[in-house]
Amino acid sequence: MLEARELYSYYGKSPILQDVDFRVEEGGFLGIVGRNGVGKTTLLRTIMGLTDRARGVMSFAGADLLGLSTPRRAAAGIAYIPQGREIIPRFTVRENLIMGTFPRRDGARRIPEHIFELFPILAEFINRRGGDLSGGQQQQLAIGRALAMEPRVLLLDEPTEGIQPNIVQQLEDVMRRLNRELGLTIVLVEQNTRFIRQAADAFVLLDKGRVALRGRGDELTSEVVDRYLAI
Amino acid sequence: MESLFNEAFIGLSLASILLMVALGLAIIYGTMGVINLAHGQFVMLGAYGAWLLQTTFGLSLLVAIPVVFVVVALIGLGIERTIVHRLYRRPLDTILATWGIGIVIEQLVRAGFGSDSRYVARPAFLEDGFLFLGAYVSSYRLFIILFSLAMLAATWYLLFRTEFGTKLRAVIQNTEISRCYGISAKRVYALTFAYGAGLAAVAGALVTPLVSVTPTMGTSFVVDAFLVVIVGGVGSVLGSAASALMIGEASAWLSFLSSETTGRILILLGVIVLIRFRPQGLFPDTVRR
Repeated sequence: MLEARELYSYYGKSPILQDVDFRVEEGGFLGIVGRNGVGKTTLLRTIMGLTDRARGVMSFAGADLLGLSTPRRAAAGIAYIPQGREIIPRFTVRENLIMGTFPRRDGARRIPEHIFELFPILAEFINRRGGDLSGGQQQQLAIGRALAMEPRVLLLDEPTEGIQPNIVQQLEDVMRRLNRELGLTIVLVEQNTRFIRQAADAFVLLDKGRVALRGRGDELTSEVVDRYLAI
Repeated sequence: MESLFNEAFIGLSLASILLMVALGLAIIYGTMGVINLAHGQFVMLGAYGAWLLQTTFGLSLLVAIPVVFVVVALIGLGIERTIVHRLYRRPLDTILATWGIGIVIEQLVRAGFGSDSRYVARPAFLEDGFLFLGAYVSSYRLFIILFSLAMLAATWYLLFRTEFGTKLRAVIQNTEISRCYGISAKRVYALTFAYGAGLAAVAGALVTPLVSVTPTMGTSFVVDAFLVVIVGGVGSVLGSAASALMIGEASAWLSFLSSETTGRILILLGVIVLIRFRPQGLFPDTVRR
């Protein structure tokens, strides 16, 4: 469904990703792991078209992606939840969620009900400003905003980083449910290899902008982690 | 007493014109970070538009206002799409480029219509005035005040109650994530620039019955409008409104109490002292991020 071959991505003249290949099937769950600074975030940003330049082949649902502008990639059904959440601080929770509906092709501006079932806190704080929420609540809002477009694939960048443990558990459950019950395709960048091992079908391990290792989710064993990810 | 009231009223009408010029500047700066030095020339184009429509087609000023809004907004759109949008990552270059655009517009107008002062008649039913608390109130000045208040309200509605406004505010706060959520920043920028240009043109058309229309008339408006934006605090619509009121009133009072020139000097001094102690302006838009 989402596929890249010989993907190179650049900031200025420096290639951050080099010769990257990956593939996620419809309903799949791909984990991206690697040390800091190896290009995990850049990979997600390249999928959204946020780097200066990219070359190679990247397609989504059979259509070429590299030629599309960022807003069009969103309209194609790709929802991006960046590191640091990046909800709009001066917007209310409702405005942030409405913003999530902007890429919809049918032009509907209704916030899907199931978002409030997944995150009841968003219904409770619907008129508060995004900037006044706690980190964990902002992360729930960021995921809610992404779901509001009824996407076909979710790209998440370290969604549990810096979040209190009880919310981490909830976010992990939500990601699993979205993937298993709603069949949503997920690409997750995560330092927490335990969750990738439990939840992902497959993983890609990046090192210095290249794919160093790939395999099934449960193949991301502690030996692999020690060998490739220990500092 | 009557003359005091007179000056306050004249100040209010000055403030209203300033407000419309400053709003456009503030929105363009707040959204794209572009200091639009051609803004005064948009005011001038609006004034010439009103004059042209009146002398060639005999159209009333009231008809001219929506026409110049649309036409100058389209000119603004053209300028944004051809020149300004290429310079968004280079703020200093936009200053130079918009300054140049301003000069070109001014010279084109001079070449087309000459440097003579032109006059525009106010609508017949606003010709007179009336006495209020013993002071003379010009109907036309009252019309300017009410009209600008309506434009302020319309701008507020556009920004805070429409989908375009939501997209605009999203882009202001986080362009990249806005694009990730389907908002075309390019489109938002172009329309914002066009709207700001249109507002300036409306101000230019509105002021024609009070001042003579010349190719250089824009400069004085844009200087005052920049003062308004600086004093009000960048990015705040209500701050712009409040500081337009202050500067408009101060202009009227000081030129009444001393002379026009002394008035200008005192206002500039006041602004310099103010930004020395409050560089963020009187009503900065503060919110934790």
